[in-house]
Amino acid sequence: MTTGFWHQVRAVIDRDLLRERRQGDMLWITIPFGAIALLLIPLAIGTDAVLLREIGPGMYWVIVMLFGVLVAVSRASRETLPQQDASALLGLDPAAGFVGRTASSAVFLLIFEVVVGVVAVGLYDISLIGIGWLVTTMLLVAIGLALLGTLTAAIVNSSTAGAALVPLLVAPLSVPLLLGATQTYDGLQGGYSILSWVLLMVAVVLVVSIIGVLTARPLQET
Amino acid sequence: MQSQVRIRRWPWVAIALSLAVAFTLSMISPADSVQGDLVRIMYVHVPAAWLAYTAFFVTFVGSVAYLVTKNLRWDRIAAASAEIGVYFTGLALSLGMIWAKPTWGVWWTWDARLTFTFIMFFVYLGYLALRRTTDDPIARASRSSVLGILGAIQIPLVHFSVLWWRTLHQPPSLIRPDGPAIQDSLMLAALIVGVLAFTIVYVALMVKRIELIHLEEKRLAVEQSIRRPVAGEAVTAPELGAS
Repeated sequence: MTTGFWHQVRAVIDRDLLRERRQGDMLWITIPFGAIALLLIPLAIGTDAVLLREIGPGMYWVIVMLFGVLVAVSRASRETLPQQDASALLGLDPAAGFVGRTASSAVFLLIFEVVVGVVAVGLYDISLIGIGWLVTTMLLVAIGLALLGTLTAAIVNSSTAGAALVPLLVAPLSVPLLLGATQTYDGLQGGYSILSWVLLMVAVVLVVSIIGVLTARPLQET
Repeated sequence: MQSQVRIRRWPWVAIALSLAVAFTLSMISPADSVQGDLVRIMYVHVPAAWLAYTAFFVTFVGSVAYLVTKNLRWDRIAAASAEIGVYFTGLALSLGMIWAKPTWGVWWTWDARLTFTFIMFFVYLGYLALRRTTDDPIARASRSSVLGILGAIQIPLVHFSVLWWRTLHQPPSLIRPDGPAIQDSLMLAALIVGVLAFTIVYVALMVKRIELIHLEEKRLAVEQSIRRPVAGEAVTAPELGAS
């Protein structure tokens, strides 16, 4: 594999999407599980429509975060050492591998957010004021979670605890994204400025991107 | 031999002396006009929180230095500092909860400073867990260095959370643009001495922990060099036709 950086990124994305199309873990397991989780919450706390409308957006983002962790776990357990060695021998740039895996995870997470979001709007009667900013938030959260998931999957790679360690690492690190997403929604509903929250999410995405790209090679070498 | 004994003992002497001075000052400083003697928790709570930031910042520096130099000495520094940081974060959180009950009426409130500190605690618990699950020292150092850099994002979030959000927790006591919040000079002195004493404790613990990590690595190297019998080695395959 001696093609340029972006060609390599594209090849990794294509490989991951093809694998997902063949296995269908995301489509047939993760998305229905997320929808069920949204259905269970009213059964546990009560079915008061006003209360559900109030807590619905927060519940939606919590579920997105937790299932983002699930996507990262499946990614961590999917790539075996021989596969990684084969990629390295083929000359895959570790940074291109990181960007490609992140991009494919972000696509999965965005699909998850959209489908589960439709279910959340239906079940909780969530307001969609400021839809443009909501879409931007969904995009930033998907990219941020994908970055954190891909990076932590690379960190725990071949350690004895492996994928079991991923949730402990991703969940606390994704809190700024959860905070940014929920506060952006509240700001749009309340009519106050959301710029600082959007900037927080952008900052997380940028910082983790830089760390991920710069550390891709040392992580692969171990 | 004498100097070796002195080297081993000085951390404990430094810890005992500095804590004794800090304890004395915190006891002779006046009680607060509103909180009374409860304010004395501050002389341990604030230095513990300060030490948590310092320790995690050192972990960040050690992690960056390891990735740049590939020298395992930096990894030992990062690891030792993270362990001490987790301990002092736990101490700051516990003392904060003990302080919160009589002053705020609850053990825990969903305040930005408290919540972010708790999250930082879990991030570095994850760091320690990661180290325990990786046997190879080089792989362990590289992986935990990346996490040490990633986790450092939490430090400014915790420190500035009281300024960025309207919180129940008071703003920083010492490091503020308009000077320390404490007006009484004896209370301020007790707090500053407490911070210095805890910093000495940190340095002393770091020295001992790095020594210990170094010894652990030596022991592991010796253990790995010894050939151990393989399970089932004593079992020999049956030979056909043997009487």
